[in-house]
Amino acid sequence: MQFELDDDQRAWLAEVREFLSAHVTPALKAELAEHDLEFKGGEVAAFRRAIGEKGWFGLNWPVEYGGLGLSAVHQHLLVSEFEYWGVPGPDLTVTSVAPMIMRHGTEQNKAEFLPPIARGEMICAVGYSEPDAGTDLASLRTRAVLDESTGEWVINGSKIWNSGAQRSTHEWLCVRTDPDAPRHKGISVIIVPIDHPGVQIRPLIAWSGYRTNEAFFDDVRVPATNLIGEVNQGWRYITGALDLERGALTNAGDLRRSVEDLVELARQPQADGTVPADDPVAVRRLAGLVADVEAATLMGYEAASLLAEGTIPTVQVSTEKIFTSELRQRIADTAMDLLGPAGLLAHRNPEAPLAGAYERLYRTAPLLRFGAGTNEVLRDVIAQRGHALPSYGR
Amino acid sequence: MKLVASPEERDLRAMLHDLLAAECPTTLVRSLREPGADRFPATLWKSLTAAGVLGLPFAEEYGGMGGRLDDVATYVLEAGRALAPSVVTSTLAFGIAVDRLGGDDLRARHLPALSAGELRGTIALAAPGNAHDARPAFTAQRDGARWRISGQAEYVPDLDLADRVLVTADAEGETIGVVLAARADGVRSEPLDVMGGPGQFRLVLDGVGVEDADVTAPLGAPQLRAVSHAVAALHCVELVGVAEEALRRAVEHVRERHQFGRPLGSFQAAQHLVADMHIGIQAARLSALAAVAALGRGESGVRESAVARMHATKAAKVATLDAHQLHGGMGYVLETDLHLWSERARVLATLDGTADTAASWLAEEVGLDS
Repeated sequence: MQFELDDDQRAWLAEVREFLSAHVTPALKAELAEHDLEFKGGEVAAFRRAIGEKGWFGLNWPVEYGGLGLSAVHQHLLVSEFEYWGVPGPDLTVTSVAPMIMRHGTEQNKAEFLPPIARGEMICAVGYSEPDAGTDLASLRTRAVLDESTGEWVINGSKIWNSGAQRSTHEWLCVRTDPDAPRHKGISVIIVPIDHPGVQIRPLIAWSGYRTNEAFFDDVRVPATNLIGEVNQGWRYITGALDLERGALTNAGDLRRSVEDLVELARQPQADGTVPADDPVAVRRLAGLVADVEAATLMGYEAASLLAEGTIPTVQVSTEKIFTSELRQRIADTAMDLLGPAGLLAHRNPEAPLAGAYERLYRTAPLLRFGAGTNEVLRDVIAQRGHALPSYGR
Repeated sequence: MKLVASPEERDLRAMLHDLLAAECPTTLVRSLREPGADRFPATLWKSLTAAGVLGLPFAEEYGGMGGRLDDVATYVLEAGRALAPSVVTSTLAFGIAVDRLGGDDLRARHLPALSAGELRGTIALAAPGNAHDARPAFTAQRDGARWRISGQAEYVPDLDLADRVLVTADAEGETIGVVLAARADGVRSEPLDVMGGPGQFRLVLDGVGVEDADVTAPLGAPQLRAVSHAVAALHCVELVGVAEEALRRAVEHVRERHQFGRPLGSFQAAQHLVADMHIGIQAARLSALAAVAALGRGESGVRESAVARMHATKAAKVATLDAHQLHGGMGYVLETDLHLWSERARVLATLDGTADTAASWLAEEVGLDS
């Protein structure tokens, strides 16, 4: 094991930091604070273009697919650093959809979809869950039927938690293509352009203020070649993508920043003149968070190291996802306890400590505990895949 | 940064695993705890010496293997799983202290014999419940050409088996390291009746005379802490080994034990206990190895040591106590041996410092000390 960055990794991190110091402007931060990612055109769009120009949307893809051929550790360093700076980096399209296309897609899939993803021009919303198929994803019912006369898939059904659909160009859509097969064996993945006739998006606003969506598919037709890889093999592709998604969601760069900011805040006198760090109980809780962020960081490096060796470390990313998502809630709760009534001052209130960042974190943190596989199901994964305990029939 | 074991690390671990599986069965561990038993595991000692364990981190010129502190961690992890007698780790700790604090002469006089398995040692270097507190427990006074060492220290491990003990003494305001013969005149060793069986001692020195050759140059607190934290970090790795074995035993039990017509391990409540043990152990394993790596590189390593201790103490206690919970009465009776791991976990979670003590080191590191 090597617990230090090597020269190449250090140089890479320096390059990423240099890019961020040049491009993370007050204007970008202001726009992100005001509109999150919802503002088309403007600073965020320009920032994304700059990332695309560096080739960083495909940084760990093989060169033959338009990537830079860098390792999963490089990607981990970059994503963690973007999180630390609080700016959007490569998204799930790049980190989990594209690798599955590379791994399992047809030659035509690869030629058609990978280059625009690498340029940042093709962005996928991930269409997995349905109103009646959440954690029990394999019970999904959205149907795709091949119309032999036109050579098109005809899609009917609906998806939920279709985050980012309003700013995406395509759906990475999970559909049932063989209703008679055992439920894991009749599923396929089809790419659907969002502007196609028959696709409808309806916003759902979450507790955090975050917009997600319902998506409806009514006789939507796409070419047969939009099917990824082989028909009825989709379960493998989406579980692989979900493992990568969990890994990508849990780099802990944002958590490191949250805890550093909180430690700094705890040393400053609050409005009522008290200093949180004068309280030994508060100090003990903060030290616990610092220790947990260190462990989360190491878990991230471990998962990235394993990915770099070509494995999809399901048990490791499940462990990391559970640990970081539960840590995120502890950070938010500890911060609000430490700040007392001032911690209640709402997000974007200029009077609030750190503009209400922790008030907001308290509301955003629940998402990652149940999203991308609930922590309960992932605990089953650790027990069953990591320790060969029997399935109880899930 | 590459957090995957190298082929060499995997080979070393597999070799030590097999060696301890063959030569350190639980029957041996238990027999060494029996009242009046000879606590020295002679056959195992011979095999570990032959495998190079006792010389792992020392330079080849002193008969060592020229390895890193990380290699010692590989041994200690397996030692934790097998509950290998602590005299091995105590002797390695003595060697590491001599290597890092002593001059060429002290090294040359002790490390070759130690690597050859002919010398056993222990240390009394930091406060028993606080590895960061390296203030000397003894005083040294000049007596002609010699030093007279007096004072007492508690919770000194394996003093009964040691030939040499390294202590620190206040010599008129400066701290020096002193290597004593454990059975010299004026050295008194009193066994402490503690959890985990015999092995902890009170060391009382009453004007013990030592030559200049057995004394180090004056030592600074950072230098002493680098050693006490290195030893503490190795103990964190040992805690991880203890926890891994408790988890392995618990998993084996719930796979085989059937109730309500199905394996206990098929119940989600049982699976989630297992998953939480696993998660805690992952955090502990990575942070403990990170601490050993940092201290092995010669960094102060206080931050890493604190983080390791906070995770390792918690993971080992949770793993052993939840292993008891999953075993029920089957694990509560002495004949299943589970308590041997639980006691080792609880003892190691106190010595060197509890999680709360380590949190105070970490708070200071991040500027939260008021």
